[in-house]
Amino acid sequence: MEIDFAHKQSAHCESGVLVNLLAHRGLELSEALAFGIGAGLFFAYLPFIRINHLPLVTYRAAAGQLLQRFARLPGFKLAQRTFSSPGQAMAALDALLAQSIPVGLQTGVFWLPYFPKALRFHFNAHNLVVYGKEGDEYLISDPVFPQPVRCPAADLARARFALGALAPKGKMYHFTQVPTDFDRCAALRAGLAATCTIMLNSPFPLIGVKGIRFLGRRLQGWPRRLGGDRAALHLGHVVRMQEEIGTGGGGFRFMFSAFLQEGSVLCADEQLLASAASLTAAGDEWRQFAVMAARLCKNRAQPGDTYEAMAERIQACAAIEEQAYRALVAWGRDAA
Amino acid sequence: MADTEHQGRQGLTDGLKTVSYARNRQGRIEPVEGDGWQPVNDVNDQAWREIEQRVALARQTVASGRASCLYYHMVVNQMNPWLLARYSHQSPLTVLLHLLPFFFNRLPLGRLQTYADLFQVAAEELRRGLPPSAGPPLSPGREPEHGN
Repeated sequence: MEIDFAHKQSAHCESGVLVNLLAHRGLELSEALAFGIGAGLFFAYLPFIRINHLPLVTYRAAAGQLLQRFARLPGFKLAQRTFSSPGQAMAALDALLAQSIPVGLQTGVFWLPYFPKALRFHFNAHNLVVYGKEGDEYLISDPVFPQPVRCPAADLARARFALGALAPKGKMYHFTQVPTDFDRCAALRAGLAATCTIMLNSPFPLIGVKGIRFLGRRLQGWPRRLGGDRAALHLGHVVRMQEEIGTGGGGFRFMFSAFLQEGSVLCADEQLLASAASLTAAGDEWRQFAVMAARLCKNRAQPGDTYEAMAERIQACAAIEEQAYRALVAWGRDAA
Repeated sequence: MADTEHQGRQGLTDGLKTVSYARNRQGRIEPVEGDGWQPVNDVNDQAWREIEQRVALARQTVASGRASCLYYHMVVNQMNPWLLARYSHQSPLTVLLHLLPFFFNRLPLGRLQTYADLFQVAAEELRRGLPPSAGPPLSPGREPEHGN
């Protein structure tokens, strides 16, 4: 059983799955646009949540948000469900495949055998599309891989019921209704407004621009508080979260910038291009920080590579981003 | 030097080609294919070194008799007692007890099988103690030193 499904590789798994599922239903859209409309850009530094003994840093919105925001757009309907047992979950998946419906799944990464070792952590918010089954193997379009892959049923069942933070509970979804087209400019405005609100006005000081500043302040104190080795591990972890596959580089800032560039064409508005340039500048600044941090992690620090200098770079990122979001808020107000 | 680094990186991500976003000549940001940016490879390498160290330390702890071989498998699978408790459907306290050789050595085969299924090894292997050296199939499996 195999559904004719076009696999297209993308940077981020959730936007990739979204784009591939919509393309299958005849609605073409770029990954960057899907990411922006779904308000995927985010920042949070939550040191009280630990991943592999290191604090949680995230540059993207919570898992499932992109899908949720698309499901709420007029004309879209998303069927989504979770399960209590792997048996039921796999049977429901097979039933949908038998109806020739490609199915999106949320899975853990650790149990997927086709993943390279370096990326197999207990991270449970991965997304992929199952588009067929051959014998005991599922045919999978995993958007971060260049080609479709295969996965034995037992491993997929395990991955769907991975446990720990963000446990997927066998979550699966597919679009039951997709319009031939939708008001992209209006959806873009709504996505932008949501992104700017969370980045600027979160009451919680560890989220958004405030969170970036908080990370900058904390980072400065790491060598004193944690000692050289632990500090380097924390630093490496931040860089990995920022640049690891899925982010498209610069902690999703480059992808968001691509979204703004596309938006300026869609809404025929030059002002968005200026904001895109600011976000690109922010992404560059994040990358400068990553380069310096990686040198420190490798014990190849050059003169001037200090935690203070990195903290300064992060504060610079916060300043550039804050300005960009404020400009976007003003743009939204003027246009309304 | 560059060559050995390249091999190390390939070993880690199996040479996976990923997509990232970059500026083209006209200043437009586009998705491009790449096999990893050097700073990312450096920090990935650092993270795996850390895991390898944890595994080596766990091996020592088990060999010295301060913990059961369950502890070793737990560390290899990047779990902590709380996550292991959820995966094995037991209370964390039970798992903490099983991490001690005294309780672990008295476990019935059925209980061992639960752990064996989870870690994808044979129950007999858990009974025997530490695996020889390569580690179970889920371990990183990378050579401890690869030259850089």
